[in-house]
Amino acid sequence: MHGLVAGWIVLAFLLFFVGSQWTVLPVIGFLGTMAYGWVRYQAEAAKGLTFLTTILTVAILALIISFLLIRSVPIVQEMGVDLLTKTEPAGNIWGANGGTVWSLTPMMVGTAITTVIATVVAAPLGIAGAVFISEMAPTRVREVVKPGIELMAGIPSITYGFIGLTIVNQYFYLEFTTPTIGNYLAAGIMIGIMALPTIVTVAEDALSTVPESMKSGSLAMGSTEWQTTKSVTIPAALSGVSAGILLGIGRAMGETMAATVMLSHTKGFPTPVFDVFAGYGETLTTVIAFEGGNASGLHLSALFAGGVVLFFMVMVLSVTSQFVEWRMEKKLRGEQ
Amino acid sequence: MSNVRDTALHSGESTTSELAATGVLGVSFAAFVASWALIFQWVDETATVAGLSVLRLLGVGLIAAAVGLVAIGVASRMDALDTTPSPTAGFAVGLVVGLLWSIVGAVLATALLGAGTLLWVPAALAFGVAGSLSSLLPREDIGSTVPVSLVIAVLGGAIALGRLDAGWTWEPSWLSATVPGSELVPILVVFGSLLAVWSGAKARNGFGAQGREAGAFALIGTVVFGMLAVLALLIGFIVVNGLETMLTGASLFGGQVTVPVIGVTLPWVNFPFLTNVTGGLFVEVPGVLPATLGTLWLVFGAVLFAVPLGVGAAVFLTEYAERGRFTQVVEVATNGLWSTPSIVFGLFGLAFLVPRISGGNSIIVGQLVLGFMLLPLVLITSREAILAVPDEYRDASAALGVTKWQTIRSVVVPAAMPGTITGVILGVGRIAGETAPLLLVFGGPPYPSQTPNVLGSFQLTATPPFVTNEALLSPASALPYQLYSTITAGVFPKEIFTDSEFGWGTALILLLVVIGLYAIGVGSRLYFRRKLHHE
Repeated sequence: MHGLVAGWIVLAFLLFFVGSQWTVLPVIGFLGTMAYGWVRYQAEAAKGLTFLTTILTVAILALIISFLLIRSVPIVQEMGVDLLTKTEPAGNIWGANGGTVWSLTPMMVGTAITTVIATVVAAPLGIAGAVFISEMAPTRVREVVKPGIELMAGIPSITYGFIGLTIVNQYFYLEFTTPTIGNYLAAGIMIGIMALPTIVTVAEDALSTVPESMKSGSLAMGSTEWQTTKSVTIPAALSGVSAGILLGIGRAMGETMAATVMLSHTKGFPTPVFDVFAGYGETLTTVIAFEGGNASGLHLSALFAGGVVLFFMVMVLSVTSQFVEWRMEKKLRGEQ
Repeated sequence: MSNVRDTALHSGESTTSELAATGVLGVSFAAFVASWALIFQWVDETATVAGLSVLRLLGVGLIAAAVGLVAIGVASRMDALDTTPSPTAGFAVGLVVGLLWSIVGAVLATALLGAGTLLWVPAALAFGVAGSLSSLLPREDIGSTVPVSLVIAVLGGAIALGRLDAGWTWEPSWLSATVPGSELVPILVVFGSLLAVWSGAKARNGFGAQGREAGAFALIGTVVFGMLAVLALLIGFIVVNGLETMLTGASLFGGQVTVPVIGVTLPWVNFPFLTNVTGGLFVEVPGVLPATLGTLWLVFGAVLFAVPLGVGAAVFLTEYAERGRFTQVVEVATNGLWSTPSIVFGLFGLAFLVPRISGGNSIIVGQLVLGFMLLPLVLITSREAILAVPDEYRDASAALGVTKWQTIRSVVVPAAMPGTITGVILGVGRIAGETAPLLLVFGGPPYPSQTPNVLGSFQLTATPPFVTNEALLSPASALPYQLYSTITAGVFPKEIFTDSEFGWGTALILLLVVIGLYAIGVGSRLYFRRKLHHE
């Protein structure tokens, strides 16, 4: 029975993979076998089904990784390491308009600039917000502020982008006479505002998992609430707070729509690199979103390579933050 | 924690200092709010109040705050006030003041000696060290007021004397833009007033541990207040801009509806922006009906795909699997999926699903891709909900002699349902506004003139796959995608709205959908939590 189910699934996947219209047959077979199993051995079938769903979740991630990698092979064969390091020729570094050089370097620099700006905006504000919610606010204020922050996370990024485009970009263009409408600073600030709720939520969770007994102990020694927060709660929750910041950085890095709408889509290197008003504006996410719809061949492959870079940077951040959180849990349980 | 306050005992003596400190706080907070009003351009830089331009008034305010702070600090040091200062102001104050002083030093050196030289480096270092020491060495009442006040006073003086005014510009060689005084001054005043709030709150509570607590709370409170104000502004802005477009031609009883059986016509709500198509020749008021239906179909498909998978995997992980290597891998994979950028999901859909299912942009690929994005969220929340089901429930059920699967089906999953539903609603709120993957796998023409007819397009065929649906395999529009294409397509085809008016209207509808979903999600969470605790 198990073998039959596994066979149907493998067959269905293989047929789907080659794009056959016969995929439907093994799917029907699978459903039939499952229905029979459900009637005869319900407990076994249920366990098997839940196991399958678990496998499928992991398989989706595996598929994402492998397809990103497979589709970026052509551009790596074409460009080699230059894909990630080439900075010359300055004007024609992205071959979308008939050129032959494909280099992701300007987009990586762009992503780095916007992410740094967003982090500078979001990290201090996020920690302040988390401390406010978990340590300072009276219950009634907390009940308003916390859902408010969560709501902020839910506002669609394209809406932020629309506001950024019509208000923030115009503001910088008119008041600061920037060379282009749209610059890294404006986009970075907007992305920072969008990454803020992630940091607040995760850091607040970390702060509120610090055991009440630790805080009470400190207060019983005669410290003020702020001394307790500063010297007991925050140090104990430090890893959780930094996990929140890492996740926020990951969000900022992967943020697409606001930046796509706000940036000018010109590729190049601002000189010096902290010239946030330079007439360039392109990040890894924006180039994929802006050009992905009508790219083909090497161009599309280069975009997939951009996706790989993005995916692995965010994945490293995610895994690191999980590791940090896991260590905090262990510490608070007193195993260290 | 202790609520005992000893203010009553010596309130007679400390009224003056408290009054002065309250004044400093009031002035600083007013300056903070006024600078934001200037940055948002509610108040023009050239406006005058009592003969003084607004900018100069801000400078005067800062000077007044600085003078007040110094007065309190010195009076406290002379023991004229009843305060409880610590021996030193503390490392944090030293660091902040050192940084500020070094900035002042660098600016002064550049202004006096010219920009070409590198002399600003030693000047900044010397000022920084001096600032740090001046705040660390004296007793706290001096250390946390006077050095900070000096910085505030220098800034306020430069503004009040007109050295920094609206016409002043700064064009550093390393920046492609010009920084005008009209914008720089309010930004600097925001930081200056925050400093004054910090210091003033400390002084008001008599320095020491109590004072530091008050200072930190005031500073954080002000920052969070500003943050929430920005959030409220963002939402208010969309509502104000979008409301007129959304309500174009709308009326409570302007429309008509015919009751099917009786054939009587009744007045009904008329809401053309929501019930009309976007393009098309004969549409008077273009609306967002195709996009709204598209969003509904997307969300429906994504939920249909993700919820069974997510809940199933959560059940397996919590009830069947042993905690170990395998669950750890699944956890890492789930969190990885959760943090994967949305555009990467779009790329995956483009590479894997599009060529195999529809050969082009289509609704069903959009549904699947959004389903992939929803899956980790459903898994994480329903797993938490299942873990939160008390073990007593399972034990009680097992004691009745039923099998494990029956326990799961009749006890665990129903008990975990509220948490799962809340998680799903919050997740749907998130994917309903998702745009990036839709650009790659879903989007159709920017101004659709018909709605996707999914229900009516199912067809049985003799060749596999036996059931086809043309509508599911063709591209469509969704609210966030509609907003994006309105922004980028440029010219709106009808004269009644400009491009951005239509955009604001769409943004408002999108916002209402998402906020509605969030309100339902948060509300159901509160409801279930209350039920859990009181019954």
